[in-house]
Amino acid sequence: MGVLVLQAGVLAEFNPLGPNQSVPVFTVWFGQWRLAVSNHMFMVGLAAMLLLIAVPLAAKPRVMIPRGLQNLVETICVFLREEVGRPILREHVDHYIGFVWTVFFFVLSLNLLAMIPLEKIITLLTGKENHFGGPATANIWVTGGLATVTFFAASISGIRQQGFWHYLANLAPRAPWWIMPLLYMTEIITLFVRPLTLAVRLFANIVAGHILVATFVGLILVFKSYSVATASVLAVVAVSFLELLVAFIQAFIFTLLSALYIGFSILPEH
Amino acid sequence: MVFMSGSMLAATGTSTSGLVALAVALGCAASLLAAAMGIGWIGSRAVESIARQPEAGSRIFTTMVIAGALIEGVTFFSLLICFLVLYWLK
Repeated sequence: MGVLVLQAGVLAEFNPLGPNQSVPVFTVWFGQWRLAVSNHMFMVGLAAMLLLIAVPLAAKPRVMIPRGLQNLVETICVFLREEVGRPILREHVDHYIGFVWTVFFFVLSLNLLAMIPLEKIITLLTGKENHFGGPATANIWVTGGLATVTFFAASISGIRQQGFWHYLANLAPRAPWWIMPLLYMTEIITLFVRPLTLAVRLFANIVAGHILVATFVGLILVFKSYSVATASVLAVVAVSFLELLVAFIQAFIFTLLSALYIGFSILPEH
Repeated sequence: MVFMSGSMLAATGTSTSGLVALAVALGCAASLLAAAMGIGWIGSRAVESIARQPEAGSRIFTTMVIAGALIEGVTFFSLLICFLVLYWLK
């Protein structure tokens, strides 16, 4: 019992939430206004730059039988348009597919960049302690921002498609008059809660995966033995493979649900 | 294991923090139980339906993965609420 309390004390020193946290890396001054760029913001910028370079590079060949990077990007785009977009959005799929593709590639690249321990690679190469890496989607504000974009995309496209009053009227199905206020209130709450669940789902999945990896690595610090280190490294490898799967699945779920919410807005479901 | 850690906190901290830890652990355990049952049910029905109609296998597999991810999302909501309880009632 005493040994367990001692080990609990040592375990309390290594914080598994540490690698997920957002820390400022540099500050940009606009005159007297200060913008503190955190490591998550840096990762978002890095993912955006990577996509802005890689996707036009993939679209450059434009051959009928795609090979290489064009084949990879085109397969994903065709899958998203035919299997995800067309059953949900039907005839409007080509209008909204740009948004769907952007969301998928952005969330996927953020999730995959989180698996690369950039700050530790930079520390290995330069010898300086830094924070230029981290899981960007492990930040509720990043996923909240993505969900807000989905909310506005769905609402604005619904209002543009149906007109403002028709959009609001089609939120609730036909029902007896005495239940309409309750039903309408539920639909309004649903309208705001759905993007919130998008944000929380993505955030919690990525955070849980990274906390698991950090906990397994922390076990090496607690026990300080070679056998535990071997088992821990093997467990971290296995959990990292699971996390790669979760990265793909969560990006796909985010995209599917975004397309679904846009579909609910533009094609009245009731 | 979770009961031991809860009672350990009760021995070292104030009298309420042990109860909070126990509540958090029980909440996590209950939601994990529900999620495991739900995903297991979906998995078994998916395997049954693929056995009935093998040519629909890939569509059924995609649907199963989507439903599994959605159930996991609900589980993570409860995990987040447990974390919030743990860090608010400090």
